[in-house]
Formats: sequence, structure tokens, C-alpha cells
Amino acid sequence: MKISLNKIKSYVKTPAELSDQELITLIGSRLVEVEEVIDLAPAYQKIYIAKVEKAEPIPGTHLHLCEIDAGEHNAEFNQLENGLIQVVCGAPNVHAGMLAVWIAPGAIVPETYGNENFKISVRKLQSYESNGMLAGADELGFSSEHKTIAEVDPANARPGDLFAEIFDLNDKILDVENKSLTHRPDCFGLVGFAREVAGILGLQFTEPPIFENINKSLKLQNQSLVDVKITDPELCPRYTCAVFELKDNTPSRYLTEDAVFLAKAGMRAIDPMVDLTNILMLETGQPLHAFDYDKLVAVGGKKDSAKIIVRAARAGEELQLLDGRTITLEDFDIVITSNDIPVALAGAMGSKNTEIDASTRRVVLESATFSLYHLRKTQMAHGIFSEAITRFTKGQPAALCGAVLEDALVWLSVQPLAINESYPAPQKQTVVKITTSEINDLLGTEYTTAEITQTLENVGFKVVSRSEQHSFSGPSATDDAPIRESCTNGSTLKVTSPAWRTDIHIKEDIIEEVGRLLGYDNIALSLPHKPFVESEIDPVFRFKRQIRQILSHDLAMHELLTYSFVSRDLLAKVGQDPADSYEIVNSISPELQCFRQQIAPSLLDKVRENLKAGHRDFTLYELNQVTAKSAGLDADKVPVLSTHLGIVDLHDFYHLKAVVLALLRQKLKLDLSYRAITPDSAIAEAYPYLEPAHSAELVWRDRSLGAFGEVKAGVLRKFKLEQVVSALELRLDDLANADPELKIEFKLSKFPAVERDLTLKLAADISYWRVREMLESALQSTKLLFSVAPLSVYQATPDDSTKNLSFHLKFANLDHTLTPTEISAIMDQITVSAAQIGATII
Amino acid sequence: MSDLEQLKKELKALGAEYAKIKTLPPEERGEFGRQMNAKKQKLLAAIERAENDLESENIIPLDIYAPTAPNQSLPRLELGTEHPLMVELDKVVDIYAAMGFDVMESRQLDNEFHMFESLNFPKDHPARDGYDTFRTAEGFIPPAHTSTMQHRALKKYRHRLDENGQIAVVIPGRVFRNEDVDATHEHTFYQCEGVLVSKDATMGQMFGVLKHFFEAYYGQELKIKTQPGYFPFTEPSAELLIEKPASLGGKGDGWLEMLGCGMIHPNVLKTAGIDPEIYHGFAWGGGIDRLAMLKYNLSDVRYFESGKLDFLEEF
Repeated sequence: MKISLNKIKSYVKTPAELSDQELITLIGSRLVEVEEVIDLAPAYQKIYIAKVEKAEPIPGTHLHLCEIDAGEHNAEFNQLENGLIQVVCGAPNVHAGMLAVWIAPGAIVPETYGNENFKISVRKLQSYESNGMLAGADELGFSSEHKTIAEVDPANARPGDLFAEIFDLNDKILDVENKSLTHRPDCFGLVGFAREVAGILGLQFTEPPIFENINKSLKLQNQSLVDVKITDPELCPRYTCAVFELKDNTPSRYLTEDAVFLAKAGMRAIDPMVDLTNILMLETGQPLHAFDYDKLVAVGGKKDSAKIIVRAARAGEELQLLDGRTITLEDFDIVITSNDIPVALAGAMGSKNTEIDASTRRVVLESATFSLYHLRKTQMAHGIFSEAITRFTKGQPAALCGAVLEDALVWLSVQPLAINESYPAPQKQTVVKITTSEINDLLGTEYTTAEITQTLENVGFKVVSRSEQHSFSGPSATDDAPIRESCTNGSTLKVTSPAWRTDIHIKEDIIEEVGRLLGYDNIALSLPHKPFVESEIDPVFRFKRQIRQILSHDLAMHELLTYSFVSRDLLAKVGQDPADSYEIVNSISPELQCFRQQIAPSLLDKVRENLKAGHRDFTLYELNQVTAKSAGLDADKVPVLSTHLGIVDLHDFYHLKAVVLALLRQKLKLDLSYRAITPDSAIAEAYPYLEPAHSAELVWRDRSLGAFGEVKAGVLRKFKLEQVVSALELRLDDLANADPELKIEFKLSKFPAVERDLTLKLAADISYWRVREMLESALQSTKLLFSVAPLSVYQATPDDSTKNLSFHLKFANLDHTLTPTEISAIMDQITVSAAQIGATII
Repeated sequence: MSDLEQLKKELKALGAEYAKIKTLPPEERGEFGRQMNAKKQKLLAAIERAENDLESENIIPLDIYAPTAPNQSLPRLELGTEHPLMVELDKVVDIYAAMGFDVMESRQLDNEFHMFESLNFPKDHPARDGYDTFRTAEGFIPPAHTSTMQHRALKKYRHRLDENGQIAVVIPGRVFRNEDVDATHEHTFYQCEGVLVSKDATMGQMFGVLKHFFEAYYGQELKIKTQPGYFPFTEPSAELLIEKPASLGGKGDGWLEMLGCGMIHPNVLKTAGIDPEIYHGFAWGGGIDRLAMLKYNLSDVRYFESGKLDFLEEF
């Protein structure tokens, strides 16, 4: 929203010593965020009111050769012998005797100010020297139409006047953030905004008559000319209207102050009737709408009397709006009807069938308020974001409608033919009872009753305070228990909010007013008193952090964050059922349509582009939440979410296995085991992108928590990947609460250890696991300290019936150095054990 | 004569001088011996250095700017990366945890009740529009703010109030807004929520806590200021700004908008079964992406979820 600082100052006498910058800073800290301050003055330098003394057509062109008089400024430019300035002008309406707006050489065309900064110079047009230009309203920034040059009413200006002074352009426009005023309908009018500025400055605001009279009832007259009926006060708490004869509605030939006023708010002048409704809306926040009375009567099929009925739209009804669109109404829309025929989409836009035009004789001017909830839906459904509906959706007060309607009639200086209203449920005054201590206790301040009362009354609240002074008849207060000044905390305030503050309901609303107007920045800072108890950190959060340290720092992996939403296409590629994903109905793109079920597929999707970027041998991981419809809902009736670790590794099964074991067993000390995956099993189904024959399931306390292994060749082809890729998906929720399970049994012998390399030849189909178990149990029986480390797995060809497994063995005795006899006894024991599984030592 | 020879000569001379000890009266011998020894140690160290220097004279200097010695393969370091957003999130949470806040995590799929109703957003209220929420066919919402967890946090920890303690919790998490993505807007981003409820919570305490946090985060004293805000779930509400810290190039003049905050609306407490006549609270929520963008001077928020290793390897 754009706010003119001059306008605010016209309502509030700001202290002379307060600079604009200080005022804007105060507004920013106590009322609303100021996004931008637009200083208009620099855009209107060297622009003067000038009288066109002579305007001769240049033969064969559409141009006129003009001589203009800019009073005392003539001498600053190239003068003709007669002292005037020569300007070539192409506008059809240029004529001798008119007052025009002259952009002198050296000035910047205001419309281009801040963008291309088009600078006017002396130049030749059709061999005539042209000194500057006579400006159109568009070039001055007040119109979007380029037809004519602006003409200035001689009653308001004389040649040589500074254009900026005549049209109040030495002004600053504050562009404020609407969002933080969502609950403040009053601040969507300049009067309301100015009232707040007064409050911030600690000044009593002087209400203009409209607001002074806000609670007076509307004087009705000649109601038979326009009957008003509201079917449901929920939809429309109040509807007021007046009928009057429309005087000349042709736009003024002059550039008006109104046009400039509207332009400052980002609006455009249209015709006097529309301009009036817009100006009143900008001033008061109350939108108005004008209908052609006779058309309205005709639409309703009546003779010389209108019957306005405000009702809910019927789903499927159609209405042609003023912008030419025909919309189909929804049952939440509210319509203004003439005898049940819709003539306007309430709060949003009028209809073609009752539009004001050149033939309009009589006007119905509407001033009403509607349910903001309904209008919000209307706004969304029909895509209407006008200045009016923006204000209605903040909840305009019913009390204001009548006062603004009456003011409009005064402004237009018309005698109404009729005034009528329907006001089924008159707005009630809100009274809040609060104590000064409640205010101070929430803010952390020590404001006195007088300060609080004054602050509230400055902006229109009525405050009655009742002091509850404590009597100290008992033992008097001792020095070590000082009692606060009784006027600080001892009063109960009865606060009546003004009719324009529809947002005041509870104590906290009053506390906010006091805190804000007196300045949150003036509150003394303190810290909470807290008992010394340790913080409770969510176990999953803590666990994720631990995993990140290990994966990124110890195992040199890269942590990615990818979107929680994936495409159906991605789910299909990895063989997951899109129907099991929660689907986003208003997604930005098909790429982000489904809530992901697992992490690894998202990572798989990032492999190719990183390969193309030149990265090799990387391992990616992500820790994030996933869900699927099949996971069901929790006690809060929301989907059960799990936190998963996903890994994608550009190596084979065994590399990823080494990573998994290093993470889970060596670092996290969790007793996780893994086992083979049977094709067509539930596990194979759960990780459909893993090749079951090259994958393993991760099991913890008999629970299946995930799987890892090589990605199926067919899946890799879909991701255009040509090398081996492995992936892991692991559910962390259960593990997060587990204490380390694997105990460390580390002992060091003082005596030298014996090291032996050992190669076993055995049938190819004997699992490594069995061999290893055999070695460990053989060594266990010796009661020595020992370790077994794999060295190699050798198989001449994949179909060879035997393979060689090599190990590095290390063993030591705690008591003495092992003797050669003892060592050969151990090796013999291993030979015997090996023979039991059909392995020979070579 | 080289330095080394000179030193060796001095050492020899010292030996000769030492012989004098026999001529000294017994009571002076101890002191004399100590002095001689100190001199000897000093000389020996100097000789050691001089000998090493002699060897260094023959060493060919390295091109220290080269990545490797000639004909050697490049050193290969395996460096992993943590995501910068997660690093920042940890840093934020660590500070709050050290201040005594409990830590909960936000959830990535929630419902209308938690996202809006429990936070005092009336049904169909225009304030809901400001959040541009995504929705699933079932009506679930990928939350647009971590405040979606406030109700749960209040319920989870309200027993602390009965135990004469207070609720103090921060809630980091991933949130979503249905908006067009550009260099400064992402539909997916991270926030950290904070909630404190006690019998004596004040707005002054809220500003005190937040000032303390930002000072700890930026490692310097910082001025704060506010501007009014509007959130249906807090009243009064404010936006907090901090002085631009020196580490971000601040010179004591600029301000940064950091977060929205306010005193928890009594309806929010009531809905969570906490009596607003007895207890007050404050809450705030701020973006993590913004902290990281400011810290690393990043111009495009889209890199965070791009999955590009080129980006991650910068950290």
C-alpha cells in the first residue's frame, strides 16, 4: 500500500524538529514495515506551469510551433526576441491561452525517473528549435494514456509556478507491507494510518467528521425509491445506499489534484463519480460502488423503484463483470441483486448490466460491508485482487458505512433522492477490562495508568480507570520489601474500543496497542529464570547429527538435501507405486507431485548430473523424512513419518557393505546384522530397485530396518547410468534410542604377537561367513588374544568350482611369548577345523 | 673461519677455562660450575644448529606453489562434506540447547488443525492465504512454518509447568511454501521455531533471549530493534531486526530482518490445555537458509537443494 507522507501530515501536526527520516523510522518500528520510501521531489525538478501564448500549426505535420511563457523562469532558457520560449508540440489539444506543464531543458521526464531517466534537451524538430516539452499526464506519471497534453486550471496556478508546488509533489510516498496490517482494516485508510502516526508520536488525534460521527445513525429518506434487504446478516452485516441525480460526469479537462492524489496511491483518475468512490476509499478504508439506478430498476423488472437484495449466490449462476468477463458464481459468493437478478459480485466488482455510462441520469451509491471469509473465497475463486476487495477482506466495520455514504453526498454536493439501509445486527461496542499490572506483566514494563490511558485515548479508545490503592493499615512496608508506586500497578481499566477497531476483542489486543504505540524497543531486556535441568534433545535429531559426522568426516561422503516431493515418473522408474505416495494437489510442477517414500531414489536421480559435472567415485547420502500411505496415521491422525538414511555409492555391493559396517558396527556400535534377500520376498518388494542377488537386508533385534546393495541394471538404464551403483535405505527411528550395544574387548599383551598369513582352498559355494566363523571358533578355543583380517578372495573364473580365501591372523598370549610348539599346535587346530568344512590350507 | 669452527673453538676454550675451578675456593666452585655448564649448553645448541644449517645449504628449494614434486602423482585427499544448511541448523540448535532449550524436530506432513486451527487461525481467514500452503488429496499439509509444531510442543512439555518449571523448546525443521522459485525464493526451506511458556514470561524476556541468541551466533554484541508484525498465533507480535554484524560487513548502520516473534495468543495456550490466566509465553520462528545465505554471501537459494557436488564442495 502506498501512503503519502504529506497527506499524513495534513492530519497530524508532527513536531517541527522531527525529520521525515525519523518519522518514517518510527512508523517502521511501531506501525508497519516500510518497504520503500519514494521521494517524489527529485522527479519533478525544473518542471513549470507555462502559458501557451501562441500555437501555430506547422504545415504538413501534426505539430504546432508554440511560444510559451514560464514567467520569471523564461530568462533561464533560450528566449525568443519577445522573451518567450519556443517549444514544438505534437498534441492535438495544444492551443493559445491554455496553461500547460512545461518540462524544461535539463529536466528528466517524471515518468522515466528512476528507470531510464530520460533527460529533456534543446533539440530540433522539423528544423524548429524546441526548448523542452509540454507534458501529457502520462509523462508526468498520472495516467497510462498518451493522447493529449495536460492542461492546468488557471484558477489554481499562474505561469512560472513550480509544478511540484501546485500539485503537492514535494512529497514522500511510503510503500508499506500490507501483510502486517492484515488485522487492521482501519489502517487501510489514510485517516486510520494518520491516527496511528499520532498515537506513535504521543499526540491526540483530531478525528475528521466522518469518524467523529461514526456512531450516528443514518438519516433515511424516501425509502420507497430503493428498498434494501439482506437475507443473511452473516454475509452482509450492513448495506446502505443513496440515490441521487448524477450531474455532469465528464472528466475534467484539467489535470486535477484528485488525479495526482490517486496516482500517489497507485491508482488512476477515470471520471468524477469513480474518482470520488476511490478517493473516499483511500481516505477512510471504506469501498463504495456506484450503480446506474435506472438500469438497476430495469434489470429487476420494476417500475421506478429499486429492490436491492443481498444474498448468497447460487452455484452455477452467471454474471458478466465490469471487466467484460462472464463468471460462474459459487455458493460462497455474495451477490447484490436487483429483485433477485445479480447486478454485482459483492465487494469484488460490479456488473455490466448496471454500469455507469454517458447516459446515466441517476445513481445508486452503495456503502456496505460483507463477510471477509466469503470475500476471501470469492477473491481466490475469481482472481480479483482490487483495492476494494483488499480492504473488505480485512473486515470493514459496519458502523463506518453510513458515515462514509453521507460524506460522499456532501462531497458531491447533491441532494439525495433517497437514502436507505438494512442493518440487521448493529455493531456492538467492545469493552475490555484489564489491569495495568496485566499490561506491564506481559510486556515487562512499568508503565503508569496515566501513560497507558493517554496512549489509548490518543487513538480513539475510551478509558475509565478505577484505582485500587492498597491500604497499608497493618505493619508498614519494610525497607527490604519495597512496594511499587501504587499508581503503576493498582488500576483496573475499562477500555472501550472505537467503532473502527473491529480487531479488538481480548486483553492481549489492548496490551499490544500499549506496547506497540509506546514502542517495543523501549522495553527493558531481561532473561527468563530457568531451573538448571539438562536440555532434552530429540533422539532422532541427535542421531542424525552423529551419523553426519561419521559419514561426512570419517567416510568422506557428501551430504545432499533433495526435495521431499518427487515425480510420479521417478517413483515409477524405481518401481515404487505412485498410488502409495501422498499426492500434492496444488504442486508447482509434475516434478514435485508426490511425497517421497524413500530417500535413495532421490539421490539416484542426482548421480548422472554430477557425473556429467566431472565427479567420480562419489558417495552421496541424505537424512530426511519419508512416508507412504501404507504407513498409516498416528494418534494425531496425521501420516506416520519416518526418518531415513539414504546412500548412493558409485561402487559395488562390497564397498557399500564396508561403509555400512563401518558406520553401524564400528562407529555406532549397533548390533545390526545383514542377511541375503530372497527374490520375490517382501523385502525385495520393499526395495524394488535393488538387485536381490546382490543385496542384503539390514536386521536389528529381529526387525527389518532397511536394505542395501547394487541397483538393478534395468533401473540404472532408466537413469542413464552405465556403471555399477549401490544404494542403501535405512530407517533410523528405532535405532535413535538404542545405546551402543557392541562392547569393546580390547586387551594388549606385553609379549610379541605372532602373525601368519593363511590361504584356504575350498568349494566356491561355501559362504565366506562360514569360513570366518570356523577360523574364529578355532582361535577362540586357544584362549589367546587374536584377530582375523581378510586379505583376498580369489577365484580363477566365475564358474570355477573352487576358490581361495586368504586371511591375516594375529595372536598373542597374555602371559608369555608363544613358543614355536604352541604356534604349530594352533595352526594344526586350524587345519583340523578347516577340514571340517572341506577347506584345505595351501 | 666458518661459524661452526668458531663455535667449536669457543667450546674448546670453555674446557680450558673450566680447569680454573681447581684454583677457586671451595665455596665459589658450585656457582662457577653452574655458569660454565650453562655456557656449554648454549654453545652445544648453537653448534647443533650450525651443523644443520650447513646441510640445508645443499638442499634444492621446492616450488612450494606447485601441486606436487616433478614426476609424482597428485596427492589425493578424500574429503567429505556436510550440507551447509545442516551445519547452520546445528549451530543454531546448539546455542539454544546450551541456553537450556529442549529440542524437538518438525514434521514434513501435517494437518489443518496443527498448521492453522491450533494456532488461532479462524477457518477461512484471509491470514491463511499468506502461507501459500501445498495440500495433499487427503487434505494434509506439508507445513509452511515450524509453528505447526507449537501445539505438540506445548502438550508434550506442559507437565513441566505443573512441576513448577517452564516450557522451553526449539523446533528445527523443513517447511514448504507454494511459490514460484527464483534466486531468493525456494518452495522448500528450513526454519527454527522457539517456544517458552512460564508464569512470568514477558516480551522483555523474549527480546532478551533473542538478542542473546544472535550475539552468541555472531560472536559479538548486537543492537536489536523491532517492527510490528501480525501473526494470528501471537499477540502482541513483532518482527525482530538485528544490527548487521561485523562478520557480514556491518559497520553499525545496517539492519537485518531476522524473524517473527510475539507473545503466544491465549487461544493457542488454551487449545493446548494451558491456562492463559496463569501462564504466558512467547514464540518465534526464523529461517535457516537466510542465515546460511548471509554467512556465505550466497546469491541463489536454489543451490541448497540442487544436489550439486560442485556447490557442496565449496563448503
